[in-house]
Parts: sequence; C-alpha cells; structure tokens
Amino acid sequence: MAYSDKVVEHYNHPRNVGSLDKKDPSVGTGLVGAPECGDVMKLQVKINPQTQVIEEAKFKTFGCGSAIASSSLATEWVKGKTVEEALSIKNTDIVRELSLPPVKIHCSVLAEDAIKAAINDWKSKQAAGVPAAEPTTAAAKQ
Amino acid sequence: MNVTQTAAGTSCWSCNAATGGGHFCAACGKIQPLPRDANYFQFFGLPRKLVIEGSALEAKFHQLSWKLHPDNFVRAAEAERQLSLERSSQLNDAYRVLRDPVACVEYLLGLEGMRKEGAAKQQAPPELLEEVFELNESLDELRGARQSADQVEINTLRPRLQEAQKNFEGKLREVDADLAGAARDWDAAVDRGTNGNASNAERGKLLARMNDILNRRSYIRNLVSSVEQELAE
Ligand code: FES
Repeated sequence: MAYSDKVVEHYNHPRNVGSLDKKDPSVGTGLVGAPECGDVMKLQVKINPQTQVIEEAKFKTFGCGSAIASSSLATEWVKGKTVEEALSIKNTDIVRELSLPPVKIHCSVLAEDAIKAAINDWKSKQAAGVPAAEPTTAAAKQ
Repeated sequence: MNVTQTAAGTSCWSCNAATGGGHFCAACGKIQPLPRDANYFQFFGLPRKLVIEGSALEAKFHQLSWKLHPDNFVRAAEAERQLSLERSSQLNDAYRVLRDPVACVEYLLGLEGMRKEGAAKQQAPPELLEEVFELNESLDELRGARQSADQVEINTLRPRLQEAQKNFEGKLREVDADLAGAARDWDAAVDRGTNGNASNAERGKLLARMNDILNRRSYIRNLVSSVEQELAE
C-alpha cells in the first residue's frame, strides 16, 4: 500500500500521542473501532467549559498508518476550535487532506467518530456535573 | 466480436440458444461469459445458503476446474480461450470464499449491500472495545520492555498476556459458534421463504445479526493475531 506523503509524515511524526486524565470532568474520551479491520482508536479532548474551546487533544491508535495519520490530524485540527466547530469536521475533510484512497475511507471515519464520541462524553459529563434542575439521563450513566 | 462484453446469461454468443446462465451452452456446448449479476453461489449452482457441505463443494470445484481449464481451449478461438481464463480465475475466487464459512457470510452480506466501505455502522459493544484497547496497550508495553531489555517487566507482562490470549481465543470460538448458529437460521429462513427467499423483514434481521457478529469478530480476530505475533517473538 502506497501511502501519501502526508500520511507518512503523520505516521513518522504523530502529533499529540498520549492520554489525558479520563476522570477529569473537563476531559472527554472517545474510544471507537473500525469493524472493517478491527482497529481501535482513542481520542481525548480537554475543553474549557466557559469558552467551549478545546484546549488540549491526545490520541492513541492501534491501527494502520492511515488511521494513525487521521487521528493525528484530527487532534491537530480540533485544538483551538470550539466544540461546535470540532463537531463539524467530516471524515471527507480528512480524506481530502491526506489523499486517502477509497479502501482507506473507513480509517478516516474512525477519526470523525472518535471526535464525536469524545465530545459527547464530555457533554454528558457536563450535564452530570452541573446540578441540573431536572435530572438528565446522562447523569445516570456516570 | 468481443464475447466477454455481451449481455451475457441470456442467449449463447455462438448459436443464440438460451443458456440459462450456465458455464456452457446447453445447445452447442460453447463456453459462456459470466452473467453480469452472477455471484459465487450461482457459479456453483447453489442457492444463497450458508451451510455448504465441504466435500460436495470440493467435488464440484474439481469437476468445474477440469472443464473450464485453459488446456481444453488451446485450439479454440481466442475469445473462448479468454473466457476459459476468466471463468477459471473466477472459479478459484468463488471456491476460496464458499469453502470458508466466515468469508462466505461476509460475501453474502456484501451481495446484500451490508458491507460498504465507509458506510455508517454500529459500534461494537464498549466493553469489548475497552478490553481490546487495554490489551493493545499491554502489547505496547511488552514491546517497550523488550526494547529496553527490561527482563523483570517482560516476566510480569508475558503471563498476563498469555492469560488474555486464552481468554480471547475462547471469545473467538464463541463468536464463531454464534455465526454458525446465525448461518443455520438464515438457511432455514431461505428454505421457508417463497421462491427460496426469506421474507424481507426476516432477511433484514438475520443479515443485521450476522453483520453484528462479524463486526465483533474482526476486533477479536485482529487482537488474537497481534497477541500471537507478539508472544511468538
Ligand atoms: S485499516 Fe483499520 S483503520 Fe485503517
């Protein structure tokens, strides 16, 4: 499989590898998998609750080069963005940026899913943490 | 005439008789191009069922590969030689898939439009992902310990991974048994259905169930092979 230069670059120098404290209420964790190949990806974001800006992002991916590059790129992209902006990132943006071939589309889907899952996790933590007037279902999950 | 380009499966390219989509024309015996919508099941003259008896399949495979073999066509027209090459390679592909129960389910799901690249899909159960991820991390640690020749660390990690390996091999057997069960249910539904087709709702449900099992299986399979590889070193 010939990888594009950008994939190789991210693969050799992945940005933001690592993890954040899962228990920190300002951290959201997304753990997702690609059933096509059985690869897994964890992406975490640290969000400022006041500004809704993603201040920190980390990932760890056990998968192919495209998945590693996609998640590396995803962490770069979400940093400094607001939650809403980050949620609008599409896997097709990643495909375009990294010139992924059709058989590698699912690797980029993994990264999009991971961003969404991480933000959703953070949202449900927020909902649970704020003593809400009406109890939310998210609170029950914690 | 380019034989492989004809709207195949209707009438014979040579004598015009109806072929019924078979490998050879019933009237003149000439080798035929594969119908455009042909699938591996049809190739072997089988219904779209999943429990396939191995020895009968093998016998049919040998019989067909003998009949379609390019050696039989050395003196035939160029177009027929070409068809024989094509059909022989398709035969090998078809056989490889049909004789492997997992590949066969995957193939069926593909035919039914269930396994498109990048399509929206269901996530695996979170506990499974969690477990797979953690084990991958341990594998990483083992790799790291090896690199730094940290024998103490290696000695604590190895038995833990061996334990996990056993556990996941057990899971793989379970998932394979699930898949075999679903395959039998699919076949039963096909048998019950009119014209050999299960009712749509039932079909959909069974396909989704098999898709789900295959998804779970790919994580387990992937992990089992990484663990095997790592522990073998
Ligand atoms: S091949 Fe599995 S994520 Fe790329």
